[in-house]
Amino acid sequence: MVNKKLLAAIVIVIVIVAASAAVWQLMLVPSEQTVKIGLVACYDKAEGQDMDRAAKMAVKEINDAGGVYVADLDAYLKIELVIADTEDDSPGKAVSPVTRAILEDGVDLLVGGYTSSGTLADQVVAIENRVPYIITGASSSLVTRRGPQGNYGGLPEGDPLRIADAEGMSYMFHYCTTTYDYSKTVANFFADSMKPLLDSTYGFAASRELRLAIIYRDDAFGKGVVADTKSIIANNNLPIDVVIERSYPTTATNFQTDLTAIKDAKPDAVYVVDFIAGTAEIIKQGQRDVGLNTVYIAVECCEDPQFYTLLGTYGDKQLLESKFAPYAGPPFYLPIIGTYVTTYQQTYDTLPGMMGADTYDAFYIAKDAIERAGTLDKAAVRDALESTAMDQLLIITETGKIEFSTGATYHEIAPVTFVEQLVWNENVGECRSVIVYPATAPGVPTLKQADFVLPTGYQPGSP
Amino acid sequence: MQRMLVNLLGSIKTEFLNFSHSEKFYFVLGAIAIGAVIPLFLSEYVVGEVLTTMIIFALYASSWNLLAYSGQGSLGHAAFLGIGGFASALLAIKLSVPPLFGLFLGSLFSAAIGLLIGLACVRLKAWFLAMVTFGFSVIIVTLISQFDAIMGGIMGFPTPLLVERGLAFYYMTFALVAASIFVMYLVMKSKMGLAFRAIHENELEAKMIGIDTAKYRLLAFVLSTFFAGLAGGLFAQSIRYIQVSVFDPYYSFLPLMMAVIGGLRTMEGPIIGSVIIVSIDSFLPRIDPILQGLMGPLFPSISNVGPPLRLLSLGLFLVIVVIFFPKGVTSLLHKVYSYFRTNEKKVDNNDGN
Amino acid sequence: MITISGLIETLLWGVANGCIYILLATGLNIIFGVMKLVNFAHGQLLMIGAYVAFAAVTAFGLNAYVAILVAIVAVALIGAGLERLTFRRVLGTDKLNEIFVSLGLIYVIENIAVLLWGNKYKQIQSPFQGLRLSLGEVSIGYDRLLAISVVIVILVALFILIKKTKIGLAMRATSQKSETSMLMGVNIEKVYIFTFALGAALAAAAGALYGIIFPFYPGIGALPTIKAFAIIILGGLGSIPGAVIGGLLYGIAENTAVYFLGGIWQDAIAFALLIIVLVIRPTGLFGEKGE
Repeated sequence: MVNKKLLAAIVIVIVIVAASAAVWQLMLVPSEQTVKIGLVACYDKAEGQDMDRAAKMAVKEINDAGGVYVADLDAYLKIELVIADTEDDSPGKAVSPVTRAILEDGVDLLVGGYTSSGTLADQVVAIENRVPYIITGASSSLVTRRGPQGNYGGLPEGDPLRIADAEGMSYMFHYCTTTYDYSKTVANFFADSMKPLLDSTYGFAASRELRLAIIYRDDAFGKGVVADTKSIIANNNLPIDVVIERSYPTTATNFQTDLTAIKDAKPDAVYVVDFIAGTAEIIKQGQRDVGLNTVYIAVECCEDPQFYTLLGTYGDKQLLESKFAPYAGPPFYLPIIGTYVTTYQQTYDTLPGMMGADTYDAFYIAKDAIERAGTLDKAAVRDALESTAMDQLLIITETGKIEFSTGATYHEIAPVTFVEQLVWNENVGECRSVIVYPATAPGVPTLKQADFVLPTGYQPGSP
Repeated sequence: MQRMLVNLLGSIKTEFLNFSHSEKFYFVLGAIAIGAVIPLFLSEYVVGEVLTTMIIFALYASSWNLLAYSGQGSLGHAAFLGIGGFASALLAIKLSVPPLFGLFLGSLFSAAIGLLIGLACVRLKAWFLAMVTFGFSVIIVTLISQFDAIMGGIMGFPTPLLVERGLAFYYMTFALVAASIFVMYLVMKSKMGLAFRAIHENELEAKMIGIDTAKYRLLAFVLSTFFAGLAGGLFAQSIRYIQVSVFDPYYSFLPLMMAVIGGLRTMEGPIIGSVIIVSIDSFLPRIDPILQGLMGPLFPSISNVGPPLRLLSLGLFLVIVVIFFPKGVTSLLHKVYSYFRTNEKKVDNNDGN
Repeated sequence: MITISGLIETLLWGVANGCIYILLATGLNIIFGVMKLVNFAHGQLLMIGAYVAFAAVTAFGLNAYVAILVAIVAVALIGAGLERLTFRRVLGTDKLNEIFVSLGLIYVIENIAVLLWGNKYKQIQSPFQGLRLSLGEVSIGYDRLLAISVVIVILVALFILIKKTKIGLAMRATSQKSETSMLMGVNIEKVYIFTFALGAALAAAAGALYGIIFPFYPGIGALPTIKAFAIIILGGLGSIPGAVIGGLLYGIAENTAVYFLGGIWQDAIAFALLIIVLVIRPTGLFGEKGE
């Protein structure tokens, strides 16, 4: 039968396990009070690492200047950065770190988010636990519009992405552009700037529509951009004709065959919708391997040093839609950009990217909100965030101020995006850029730095 | 029909009585007791994220292990994890099926697909089967991506909850998983289990004795994929989201690693393996900043050395276990246990009797 | 808008891709034919081949095509090491053990690459980059043509090795009946190490060529492995001609499918084909040899 020793052993094991668990719990108690801000970033990617560097820089600057003043504690608290590494930002990997940050580390606020699907999954934990989340990534507007305040983002009744919890949704803030924002700029650029140039250079009729090819990654981001672009063209009667669309799995690295098909369709320009790695490859492979000598335009998530490095000479005269241009200067279009770029470069020996810029701003927005709320109470901070009226920082906005809307475009900002053209710079062995469109923006009297020119060896589509 | 049921109940009762006299019974009782009581001592996060995940993956690994008993090593079990997850979530959302019922229907659906794949694999040798199952898990991603409207495409969609997260969900999962593993235990003890083992040991001889190997291989597939589907439904509930990333090869390798490291073809192996691997994945990230500080300079190409180091260790662990401890961690535990037992015996004998 | 020139270019692309698959599948077939061993980590050897070639080019300024030789030698040694340390010990035990070991190795090799080189895309700079041969409307890069030539050279060398040398004879003998060859004095252990190293060397060559044409990162090994398996199953286990023809056909089929249907179907085509064939003919199209 059962012997006593065995029973004793089992009991001892239970006791040990319970004791370790208790000790583990105790170890989590912090020593000195801080403002805990969680950074949700995917360290697998260059963009995530850029966010990490920018976040640490912002935290250091704020802490060195004294910290965040919390009125009801009558003290300056330092910011403690809690890292929630979502690895590749797939929902399976994104939810756990955010849950840990909220439940175990007890963060006061979250900043970050990268892909739409990862963020839509991990924000649920923040919504349920009423933690303010300044989402600096995720091009899908659903992250703030999926609740009642945003009319459920137009999702049909019964769609599982809808969230009915209005109170919880009020804690979500979107400090980023949406696919609509950048598609609008790209489409307008083609209509206002490129088409006239083509018409005058090649003697095309004014009635000829610009032939656009779109190559995109097969996910919500890619499809979203395609849908938005087409609706913008249609709604504004822009003289653009989407002659071919090709999509590929998100893991693809070889685009030659798709590019060959695009070459067959004879486009005037190619709109590439992907993140850094894929876009750089498409632009390179198109020119180098397939002989598709046209002009390519990339989207703003490619605004990162790795993009410029990967492109090499193949980036010359190609286009990049962006909202933060660390490569277009000095001199920069805004003084604060110059300061940020210089400091970042001195600290990390590399130029900053766009995701980091959003993140950097977000930390200052958080500091501003906490100080206006006068407390770390999350509901009060949420209210303060909603009434933010700071001067714009690294990202230009339509009003020159950082403001979160309270209408149907719930808790979004109105960023201004522009188009840069890359120019090969022999001295640095990489491309640098110049802004070519639009001419001005709020708070920035001269945004445009140069005229758009066609790349050398450019071949237009068939007339 | 009625006689079959009576026989079944009778044999369950006999099994139970037999088992209760073995020493293993007390281990199982102890494990259940620990599982039931421990959540009360631990934080919400640990219970909700870590323990629940351990239990769900224990089920998932056991389902894979069940198939392995019959000598069939699937490399695409993630397909069934995902099918179960998607099916149960969709049923609950689109057809308003009550979630608990949806879980079971989802598992049945997974088993149905398992039957089809099993049919294709019935005559295949070990690694052909591995290839086909892996291939299936890849194709299914492409297929699902085509049906965006229903499947939510690459974005996926949130799952409706059965029970509130936390303690209630934990206990519900615990009960379901314990019941499922018990069923698997019964299966392995029965004639079916013997047939599985015979097929694995020597398929030719099994055929010669008159075992219908095709039928039993199929049965193993159906049962295994049923439970994998159940694990999938529970997994979707626990991360509150279902999306195509659930079909990643990583999720196909996980149950394999857990079962092999824990102890292939034992009942307790997959459970032990799940505990070990989920612990590594949940608790080790805490020391990532320390690792980065120590080893960061050695590896300048990455900002966070933690995740690749963990994966590397898992791979190494698997290789070492297969080469040096083919019976898994559980064999080590058995040795420790019998060491204590033999010391017992010596002491008892000395007491004179 | 399907044009003839587009089709021809797609075909040529397919042949170039196919050549890389040929090397990979042949290596796999040789290992399987002689050792009856399944190496799921084969694609990772391709990946390491690409990285070694890359390192040789960037660190020592070697020509991209010379770097292929460096990759071959280095990975052959790694392969020999792996065989001796891991596979040797599980040969003869449960078939599944080989699969488990190779799976574990996948994670080990891939993550070593991640630690050493990071996740960013890399590509080997070839001196012929961007240079194209034009025949009318059709143009094909020099690198593609060179890849095809290199593969032909390697296959010829392989043929000579297997048919005309003593070790080749030993390999063939072992693949037929290992007990008999042991009785005849063949040192099985030496044959195994050599075979595995040879298979690894072929994978490395495939990788070095891959790295010139396509961008790569640590995770690229997974899919080529599956495709290589699909090819050897279709072409017949252990059959080298089968691997060659299969690889070529597969490359062309894959590329043509993408041209007409779009990139999404790139990988699924492989498995669809595989499953169909296996269901109809469980021993593959050309049947098995020596199993």
